[in-house]
Amino acid sequence: MSEQTLPCSAFAEDSDPAATLKRVGAAVLETMFFDEAVATRCDHGWIASAPSVRLTIAGSHCGEFLLSVSPEVARSIAPAFLGIDPEEISDSQKSQVLLELANILCGSVLSQLQPDSDLMLGAPEPIELDEPVHEALHQCFLLPEGMLSVSIRMCGAD
Amino acid sequence: MAFSVLVVDDSPAMRGFIRRVMTLSGLEVETCLEAANGEEALQRLREQLVDVIITDINMPKMNGEEFLRRLETEGLARSIPTLVVSTDATKARILRMLSLGADGYMTKPFSPEALREELERVLGGRHV
Repeated sequence: MSEQTLPCSAFAEDSDPAATLKRVGAAVLETMFFDEAVATRCDHGWIASAPSVRLTIAGSHCGEFLLSVSPEVARSIAPAFLGIDPEEISDSQKSQVLLELANILCGSVLSQLQPDSDLMLGAPEPIELDEPVHEALHQCFLLPEGMLSVSIRMCGAD
Repeated sequence: MAFSVLVVDDSPAMRGFIRRVMTLSGLEVETCLEAANGEEALQRLREQLVDVIITDINMPKMNGEEFLRRLETEGLARSIPTLVVSTDATKARILRMLSLGADGYMTKPFSPEALREELERVLGGRHV
């Protein structure tokens, strides 16, 4: 991305984007998985080995959304989301649910942060993420099975 | 009373989630058809009509906006209520979908209670 990175000031329509990310993220996770999600601090050491997903953001602003989940969460979210016995879940279903989770989290958070904007989300894609995104709006959540990390980096439009 | 539904979403996981939420809501779903995009959905409807349609917006081949337009031109919009479900909660998007004929709009994810309430509203108490 060649545009100037604007990690928080890009969310001009929201006076407290960090609080919005924490509130909306927790609400989405609890609705999707029927279990509690607690916003928490984390050391990010687990992210190097974590399954991760990236979505690009285009339109009135550009940017990217990143989701990482600990291996325990990766195993547990598909059965919770689909209401299927963990032993019956296929690798394909696990992957699809992780991609859908990223899509829903990104759309929900951006709709709150930028309610009057015209943003288009790219298709979610699995990635390898060695370290947390710098200069990003970021929040970790503690789920009963492990950790989940969300980062949003916005840039100014062309 | 039971009702039939067509769920249109390109994500198999999301279609599974909607099925699960309908079950948890206590609604009596007689038939649940599925389609991965608007084109497939129109084909399903030519084979079998349903009481209500639940559709996503961003889908390949034929997206939700075009699907609503086609429902209108094929004369199905008046007889089958349509509930749009999307991650996009921006005002512009909601107004655009409602102007194209959607009877309701919900943002993903949604609780069983919220889905039940919205389906009861768009069905007008005819089937639930």
